[in-house]
Amino acid sequence: MKRSVCSGCSLLCDDIMVKSDGIYIDEVFGACLKGKEKFDQIASQHRILSPMIRKNENLQKASWDDAIQRVIDLIKKSKKPLIYGLSNSSCEAQLKGIELAKLINGFIDSNASICQGKVLDNAINTGITLTTITEIINKADLIILWGSNAAESIPRLLNKVLFSRGKFRMTGREIKTLIIIDPVKTASFNTMGVRDVALRIAPGKDLELIKVLKEECCALDSIPSEGAAGLDKDDMKRLLQHLSGAEYGVIFVGQGILTPQKNSNLINELLELVQMINIKQERGRITLTMMGGHFNMTGFDHVALSMYGKRGALQFRDNQISDIDDTIIKKIEREDFDCSIFIGTDPISHFPMSLSSKLAKKPIILIDNRDSATLQLSSIVLPTAITGIECSGLAYRLDHIPIELKKIINPPNKIPTDEEILNQIIQKLKSEGGS
Amino acid sequence: MEFILNTVRRIENDQSKEFSLGDRKSLLEKLAIALINPKDFDKLNPNGKPNLKISSNFGIIIVKGVADEDVPEGTVLMPISIWSNQITGVENSELIYKNIKVDVVVTEEQINDLNSVINKIKEA
Repeated sequence: MKRSVCSGCSLLCDDIMVKSDGIYIDEVFGACLKGKEKFDQIASQHRILSPMIRKNENLQKASWDDAIQRVIDLIKKSKKPLIYGLSNSSCEAQLKGIELAKLINGFIDSNASICQGKVLDNAINTGITLTTITEIINKADLIILWGSNAAESIPRLLNKVLFSRGKFRMTGREIKTLIIIDPVKTASFNTMGVRDVALRIAPGKDLELIKVLKEECCALDSIPSEGAAGLDKDDMKRLLQHLSGAEYGVIFVGQGILTPQKNSNLINELLELVQMINIKQERGRITLTMMGGHFNMTGFDHVALSMYGKRGALQFRDNQISDIDDTIIKKIEREDFDCSIFIGTDPISHFPMSLSSKLAKKPIILIDNRDSATLQLSSIVLPTAITGIECSGLAYRLDHIPIELKKIINPPNKIPTDEEILNQIIQKLKSEGGS
Repeated sequence: MEFILNTVRRIENDQSKEFSLGDRKSLLEKLAIALINPKDFDKLNPNGKPNLKISSNFGIIIVKGVADEDVPEGTVLMPISIWSNQITGVENSELIYKNIKVDVVVTEEQINDLNSVINKIKEA
């Protein structure tokens, strides 16, 4: 029995136990439903086990040599390749992805750009007070889930930060207040106790709430008598009292905050609110943590920043980084690409139809280990090992802490890793004289 | 009837899980659904027709309606999936996954299965 890191989500739990002889995994202890699903994928009946090439409208099994050669041919023909995904890959694979983008003068971005990366983009202007899981365990007395359903998206998060006992929080759950701001009564509401505050905000009214809080910041006697954003005056008062009186508060930011409201930048407003509270706070401070879903969503931000000083959306021209302000969404909207390479992601499902239909018009190369809607429309499919189970690598936890993932068993059919596949493409392109 | 659509992540309605560990039937059952408050469901007068045609400025989808008392009145929730993304969209180059105005009616038409959704994407 060995202690292992789970790559089921961005919490990267390092306390699960795995019983394995190095060939098969017999038992996994301590993983949540998401973690269990990750391990179940090893033997999934829909797992992609060999490369496939589309012929006469159907995907057909192919040899690795043929499939890689088809990838090289497609890339060589492409003048505007797009590389996207990599949030389910190790940092080593992310590095190779960027190396490939540079070699083929492509545009590369990760899933973070449509998720928690938006918070970091805004923080360039406003600043941000981040924290770590350990700090929250040891110090937090206020935990706010704002537009995030931790119980279902990162199932063990509340075990660790709410129900734990820390160095300065030896009384544990009893001294911690949970506030949930959400229009929907999510599963996270089921973890609430008598001292907690459930704020069922009216749908789409987060901006209104933040603006009122900013205006009335820490001035309890000037809350509007009618309340705001579907919350009554007493609820608003309790929220402000907690925000201004906590010794150490953390706001977990979910997708509910990432969608713009009334053409206003909700994230920016929230970051400004946190700054205002921290200036006025007398006892402690309020911090933020983003809740990215994929296990290494944060990793790409760090890799890209360390290499090119940009969190994502890297465009290369003449094998150099190009200083243009573009996004994956704008590129797809403009159809400014002629071929896409997707790594460990399913954009045909994840993007609205107006974008997925544009992706579907151009050849798709998919590097992934499971069935997806994107697979149904791909020209070439390359199967890959499951990172954190069948190969090792570095990943960044949701609080930006690097965690080493270890290999537990060998992949079936000697399937290569994302990093090996990308490296093979790079080496073959170089040996054939670039893109 | 007019509603506000919010797409949500739910552990029991997870598209990646169904693609990996389920089958086309479970994918449809778990993802091609819309959750609405039982009072709204009654107002829609389903009368044995639980399928809902949901239209937004971005598109149309037919899914199964499921009554759920945790959903606020006037709101439709859909698990994040290829089905919900037929009626989500892009505004000012930003993805709009939440607070989308939609029109919901009951229908006798069949639920859009995965193939029909993929064909729609291919042909768009």
